[in-house]
Amino acid sequence: MASAASAMFSRGIGNSSSKENSMRGLVSFIADLRNARARELEEKRINKELANIRNKFKQGNLTGYDKKKYVCKLLYIYILGWNVDFGHLEAVNLISANKYSEKQIGYLAVTLFLHESHELLHLVVNSIRKDLADHNELNNCLALHAIANVGSKEMGEALCADVHRLLISPTSKPFVKKKAALTMLRLYRKVPSIVQPEWNERIIAIMDDPDMGVALSVTSLVMALAQDDPETYKGAYTKAAVRLRKIVVDHEYMGDYVYYKVPCPWLQVKLLRLMQYFSPSEDSHVRQLMRDSLQAVLDNAMEMPKNVQQNNAQNAVLFEAINLIIHLDTEHDLMVQISSKLGKFIGSRETNVRYLGLEAMTHLAVRAETLDPIKKHQDIIIASLRDRDITVRRQGLDLLYSMCDNTNSEKIVHELLKYLQTADYAIREEMVLKIAILTEKYATDVKWYVDISMRLIAMAGDHVSDEVWQRIIQIVTNNDELQIYAAQMTLKYCQQEHCHETLVKIGSYILGEFGHLIADSKGCSPIEQFMALQGKFNSCSPNTRAMILSAFVKFVNLFPEIKSQLLQAFKTYSHSLDSELQQRACEYLTMATMPTDDLLRTVLDEMPPFPERASALISRLDKKQNAIGDKRTWSVTGKDGLPGLDRSATLKQNFSGSGPAATATINGAIANGAAAATNGRNGTYTNGGAVKSPTEELAGLDLSTGSSMPNLASALHLSPDWEQGYNRLLLAPSGILYEDPQVQVGLRSEYRADVGCLILYFTNKSTAPIQSFTTTLDNRAGEQLKTDVKSIPDTTVHPGSQSQQMIMFEARGVFSLPPTIRISYIAGSLQALTLQLPVLLNKYMESATLSSDDFFKRWKQIGGAPREAQRIFQGHDVSYDHTRRVLEGLKWGVLDGVDPNPRNFVSATVLHTGAGKFGCLLRLEPNAENKMYRLTIRATDDAVPPILMKAMEERLTQPWPQ
Amino acid sequence: MLSFILIQNRQGKTRLAKWYSAYNDDEKIKLKGEVHRLVAPRDQKHQSNFVEFRGSSKIVYRRYAGLFFCACVDANDNELAYLEAIHFFVEVLDQFFGNVCELDLVFNFYKVYAILDEVFLAGEIQETSKQVVLTRLEHLDKLD
Repeated sequence: MASAASAMFSRGIGNSSSKENSMRGLVSFIADLRNARARELEEKRINKELANIRNKFKQGNLTGYDKKKYVCKLLYIYILGWNVDFGHLEAVNLISANKYSEKQIGYLAVTLFLHESHELLHLVVNSIRKDLADHNELNNCLALHAIANVGSKEMGEALCADVHRLLISPTSKPFVKKKAALTMLRLYRKVPSIVQPEWNERIIAIMDDPDMGVALSVTSLVMALAQDDPETYKGAYTKAAVRLRKIVVDHEYMGDYVYYKVPCPWLQVKLLRLMQYFSPSEDSHVRQLMRDSLQAVLDNAMEMPKNVQQNNAQNAVLFEAINLIIHLDTEHDLMVQISSKLGKFIGSRETNVRYLGLEAMTHLAVRAETLDPIKKHQDIIIASLRDRDITVRRQGLDLLYSMCDNTNSEKIVHELLKYLQTADYAIREEMVLKIAILTEKYATDVKWYVDISMRLIAMAGDHVSDEVWQRIIQIVTNNDELQIYAAQMTLKYCQQEHCHETLVKIGSYILGEFGHLIADSKGCSPIEQFMALQGKFNSCSPNTRAMILSAFVKFVNLFPEIKSQLLQAFKTYSHSLDSELQQRACEYLTMATMPTDDLLRTVLDEMPPFPERASALISRLDKKQNAIGDKRTWSVTGKDGLPGLDRSATLKQNFSGSGPAATATINGAIANGAAAATNGRNGTYTNGGAVKSPTEELAGLDLSTGSSMPNLASALHLSPDWEQGYNRLLLAPSGILYEDPQVQVGLRSEYRADVGCLILYFTNKSTAPIQSFTTTLDNRAGEQLKTDVKSIPDTTVHPGSQSQQMIMFEARGVFSLPPTIRISYIAGSLQALTLQLPVLLNKYMESATLSSDDFFKRWKQIGGAPREAQRIFQGHDVSYDHTRRVLEGLKWGVLDGVDPNPRNFVSATVLHTGAGKFGCLLRLEPNAENKMYRLTIRATDDAVPPILMKAMEERLTQPWPQ
Repeated sequence: MLSFILIQNRQGKTRLAKWYSAYNDDEKIKLKGEVHRLVAPRDQKHQSNFVEFRGSSKIVYRRYAGLFFCACVDANDNELAYLEAIHFFVEVLDQFFGNVCELDLVFNFYKVYAILDEVFLAGEIQETSKQVVLTRLEHLDKLD
């Protein structure tokens, strides 16, 4: 721990080694204050100084140095906790000084004196703007510091464009870029709309910045943005995977950034965290990159360094990697490795490691499919409840809660109850909640549930929140077979001399509802039930007393034999000073003495089961734990946006059919229940239950995933010159797809059966390197076309050199829309193009040789519509040569001598898809005089002819692409 | 994200306070007291460097002789990354002042704030190369 860390600050309070450029007046003032033995002396000295400074400011005519010195003194006084009610303006004016040291103090004063809604703040906006626009980067930095520290909504709106400019400007120095990135983050947190969605590509591109400080800062920004809008920032996923691999596998980093032998641990941690904000990539190449990096991180952690810093830095990365592995959930090999590692960690002698091990194991327990690897360590985990550090004890509690299932629930609940007696006050309420949830979730028999619940309340009554005891009542009400036993037990508790008030509450309700079920048992007669509750009346709070009265009025209905005692009780309490009690007693008395008992029977009929809804206990636990900004968060209640793993065989399955119940609607029902009853029982507990149908639930959902950013890789955003190269490559397997003065995109393709392999070649034609080279594929064909990116181009492409990318396209079915690709890079500014890839259904065809007889036999077999498409259209050039070239380009091998008319073309092909092979036949009849074609395509599946027809017609109406 | 950084001595005197979330003056005073009471009594040998704080946060802290360096971060943040960020900051102070002591923080408080702004900004870690930070600080220190 810290003791071993270093000898820093070990000179005691020391003598300040003040450097020559410090302000002497300030130094002696601080020294004076330090010598002031009593607070009064300090105050005296401060008042003297304040008077002096006030005077100097009034006289004006101060040199810059003096102003700086006095402002520093004021700042010091302020930091000591004294009120400084003047001089703010002078301080703020310093930011316009020419000298850096004066300006710096001015800016410090802005960040210390002014909070974000201070009125002086809008006075400084213009000075800040000036400094943002200054050519001196030092001034840019000071201005950025100011915004990053006190930036408000107004300031953000006024200055955001300047900050953005500094972030992306090719001339910005690394210092400016990293500060601009974090300043942008501050503004985004204040006003999310300040960051415009179309900045996404440019911002993500900075993650490739060779400067690791810039990369770190911009990754922090991207993390915040991606959490809120993963769709718009999904490009960051691949970037993070690539950068991480470069650091941990290829060892590409600047030497300055190695911290105790660990290469930039902070950047590694951020990249690993960023990837947890997205659902796991399905791209095999990216998965492999991640797998390599994660394995390397685990390998690096094989040895435990002696140096504290190195050990911590290495573990910081390791634990984040473990979280990512758990998040990915499919990496079996890695999972096995981390399970055994975590087992060692939780038994570590180092408290930090023990704690982090338990924390990671909790994450694993929430997400993993099997708890077996965790259960092996159950004893160590239980022992952690007795750790010397409350931080560890708390985490142990979370883990036990998360690892609980049907097999170990009794043991765990038993241990938790045992620990509850000695647990820290700070965590008792949470413990009670957790025990209550587990007891309900994993109850396998009636007695166990009731026993544990009652014991829990008897032991920790003061820490029991209302949700807990209300929930017990709901469960008992909704489960017939609990009722008798629950009534017996509550009565037993209420008959004891010392009984927690919460048990009296439960007793009042349960006996009022179900007392009659046990009235024939020994010791449970109506009068004994009455006496038990009556005996507690005086020692209870008004709320509980009200509940006891309600129980009594129910007794009137259930037990006519004790009516006189009950009426006597009402009479007594109708003189109560508490108006609520008085009212209840009077109303109940009236109801009980009515000529007929019709009303009584109706009002006090047995309570209906509570409507099924989520447990209020879990909501309460969530509320306690989820006030956190980080969206990755898995919580111990398992709500991480992923399909929850429910290992419980809830009461619903274990007990009778009536199901686990209701929320705190009972709250109202109990507290005001009886009063509501007299008002005609207008259904405090009927408002639940309205279970929405799935479509209703969906109706409220915005299925566009809330992304505010259009998908620039999509066909809607094709670059102006995309078409020529595309057309060329429809008819040829390789060639140039796109070219401009800066880049050339070449393409080679090969198709075998239903799989196509495309290799793209990117050449930098300019004289400067292009940076942050990024491609994003957009597949419009959905499930019909399976894409798999096998490699990604290098981030940097040097002048005259080439980088390539391989993508596989598997035709899973019949598709019509070709995929598109977005290519972006930084050459000074961000450049981007979107191109359509020549991946067409035709590419998956293979021509077949058929004799004339065979051809026409099959032609007839397939028959006409719907498996035929026919069109007559004007051709561009109906000459024999051109027509034949187009047909062959689109992979329709021409069958010579098959058609009786030699001017006609016929062709037969097999279309390969994962969904099967389709036979396709074509007949093309050119008419030279009218320059017309008649084209007929037949295929063994309805879906095919229109798609092939469209491709063919488009080509035949156009000139051969040059 | 960091909500604040506090440097306090054993008596609870705050030598530096940097706030990254918006708090008013009363809250700041309360937070200083709370953090001191939470951290100071903790056992150095047998307890971790992390304590839960106000439910959704935690204090990551490290003690250097008589001074506690405390960072308040989100409950889900990577504890060790912040623990080492604190140490990184302390090493920068140590090299900048040359064998740093508590009084350096007192007499040069305005410089400490400037150093802090080079290492952390907007509640995030900004720069993690000691070389980069120190070169910059020395450059700035020489400017008039």
